[in-house]
Amino acid sequence: MSTPAAPGSVVGKPPPGRLARLGRGSGWQGFFFISPALVLLGALLVYPVVWTVRLSVDKGRRQLEPHEFVGLDNFKRLLTDDRRFLDLSEFPPSGALINNLRWIVLYTALCVILGLAIAVLASRVRYESLIKAVIFVPMAISATAVAMIWLFVYSPDPDQGVLNAALQGINSGFDPISWVGREGTVNYAIIFAYVWASTGFAMVVLSAALKGISTEVIEAARTDGATDWAIFRRIQLPLLSLPIAVVTVWLIINVIKVFDIVYVMSGGGPSGASEVIANRYFIETFDGGKGGYGAAMAVIMLLMIIPIMAFNIRRFRSEAVTR
Amino acid sequence: MTRYRTFLVLLPALVVALALVAAGCGGDDEGSSKSTGTVSVFSLWGGSERDAFQKVLTGFTEKTGIKAKYEQGRDFLPILRPRIAAGNPPDVAIIPRPGVVADFARDGSLKTVEEIGLDTDALTENLSQSYLDLGTVDGDLYGIVVKANSKNTIWYKPASFKQLGVQPPEDWQGLLQIADKMRSEGKKPFAVGAQGSTNSWTLTDWFENIYLHQAGPEKYQQLFTGELPFTDPTVKTALGEMTKVISDENVPGGIQGVLGTDFVTSIGQVFGTNAKAEMHGQGGFVGGIAIGQVNTKLKPITDIDFFDFPTLNPAYKGALMGAGDQAVAFTSNDDVKALMEYLASPEAGEIWAKTGAIISPNKAVPDSAYPNELAVKEAKQLKDAETFRFDGSDLLPGTLGQSWATTLQAIIQNPDKMDQELQDFQSSAEGEFEA
Repeated sequence: MSTPAAPGSVVGKPPPGRLARLGRGSGWQGFFFISPALVLLGALLVYPVVWTVRLSVDKGRRQLEPHEFVGLDNFKRLLTDDRRFLDLSEFPPSGALINNLRWIVLYTALCVILGLAIAVLASRVRYESLIKAVIFVPMAISATAVAMIWLFVYSPDPDQGVLNAALQGINSGFDPISWVGREGTVNYAIIFAYVWASTGFAMVVLSAALKGISTEVIEAARTDGATDWAIFRRIQLPLLSLPIAVVTVWLIINVIKVFDIVYVMSGGGPSGASEVIANRYFIETFDGGKGGYGAAMAVIMLLMIIPIMAFNIRRFRSEAVTR
Repeated sequence: MTRYRTFLVLLPALVVALALVAAGCGGDDEGSSKSTGTVSVFSLWGGSERDAFQKVLTGFTEKTGIKAKYEQGRDFLPILRPRIAAGNPPDVAIIPRPGVVADFARDGSLKTVEEIGLDTDALTENLSQSYLDLGTVDGDLYGIVVKANSKNTIWYKPASFKQLGVQPPEDWQGLLQIADKMRSEGKKPFAVGAQGSTNSWTLTDWFENIYLHQAGPEKYQQLFTGELPFTDPTVKTALGEMTKVISDENVPGGIQGVLGTDFVTSIGQVFGTNAKAEMHGQGGFVGGIAIGQVNTKLKPITDIDFFDFPTLNPAYKGALMGAGDQAVAFTSNDDVKALMEYLASPEAGEIWAKTGAIISPNKAVPDSAYPNELAVKEAKQLKDAETFRFDGSDLLPGTLGQSWATTLQAIIQNPDKMDQELQDFQSSAEGEFEA
């Protein structure tokens, strides 16, 4: 190589030997470039995960450090002997684990359905951006603030709580309901508040995907005499299946670790009715100092997330292949 | 293949890097550092309580020239535990739960008063034996009680009582009769705010007061130290009385209202401008919050006053349930010694008492230090008590205090399920007391 070639001029075939060298070199170089990220990921992610798994099979009291190996005792107690975590003695079953499942199903379904409905309907009106902005605003509010706002809405005192005041306005004989003070309503009240705060996310993603659908396809369908519903059901929905899956996965992962809004709105109460895994974990580990027992809960959360991650990765791979 | 080998070569390097990072995080937790001219104090208080304590710290700096840095965390355990584990605790912390102080002392995280170099005789002179007992763990004194509260109080509106033609009751039956009378006039006798897990302690306070005055101080101490099971018949009897007060008819919005209302809002239900109830059964600090925050127009004694928690069993008339915050030291040096000494002094007690935020446990703090008659009255109650018992749920180890409050939430909703709830709580309590 006597004269340095201009970039882009190497369009011909380079000698095979050089390519091999380049390949090997780029392996080292690549590693060099990702090593800072690897060290950070290792120190801040891999190491704590390993530490947590280690703690979960330990008594780990007080100092949040391993000190007595107990095997799977923590898990056994969690799943069979901790009514706040899982109570199968009565029907319907209750406890933090069951509540998390309730969150996953209700929260995810409501966010996606509402987000999709708003995205589709808004695209048909002139003031679309206004509607989308309004729906999206709660996304900009922290979960703690969302919790405080909804605590006021749900207040059992009709002078303070908008919801009870409204219901009393409709029917003056209505007895105010303490939405977060009743075991039967507390979960739904909190889930709804969080749906209010996250629907904007689903809507924005799905709305953007909707815009990506070629208008020619829609026009062709219309020329063929398709109704609005048929267009939505047979064209838009199938074309949106990927973004819907992305949003769903993101929401599920987001909600398995739900904590802040529950912590502020109910702290898991009344009488443990609205407990979620992350709140139990927080209380056992940091209030009770039971690092091992808390870590076992964290591991269960991790186990819940793994299949969803696996699904996600597999889907990305198949995407890459079809491309 | 080559890439894979490269990875194998670099893996040990990564592990070493990780180990270094981990070692760096660990640090040494040898607390006995040299005097630095600054001492850090950690506690729960924000808002007006923080301002009050800041005045004490300012007094300290003026006197000694040592700077004091205040750090705050309302939910204090999740902050303290990791800091202790990381070897970076505050120098001094003021902790409201003796159960937690005992935990930390047994871990070896705390310094004894002797280790810091404080003069124990000076302490015993100004603090009564029951306060000293609170700070003692396995024979060693760790905590100095610097702030006290009586919980032996029921707050009421004198004007309202006058209109109804009743006097503050002497005994429990009297209280229930007043409640009946109020109900017959369409009023709600009590307000209780026990929402979620942050306000549920109000229920444990109600229970403790009833239990102390019904079963007596001996049984009370046994119950909350694991010697008497919670399934004991005395517990059920006391809970029976409690559900007579905290019932659907007696409180605004019924039981579900209690469980959906926070503590400060419940004070507003009695003393706010749009009152919905007549009496409030929580401790001495209700007065400060009512006057300072809920309704600043309230005049002590004429608009707001309290009476002693009524007697259930005349044999235990002189018993008092209260609470207190202890100063404990995580490190030991001259600055820490100076601060602990100052916090225990009548001088600091007087500055603090003047703010109206606390009752000083220090005998040498005169009544004239308190800003209003209500505070004087509370201080007198504490001084005159024949038997002092600490807030029981704060004595319970680990998460039991919180879990007891949760159990009470379940019991007021379903008194029929009392037996099962008590049984469940007892089995978790046994595990906790053993450990």
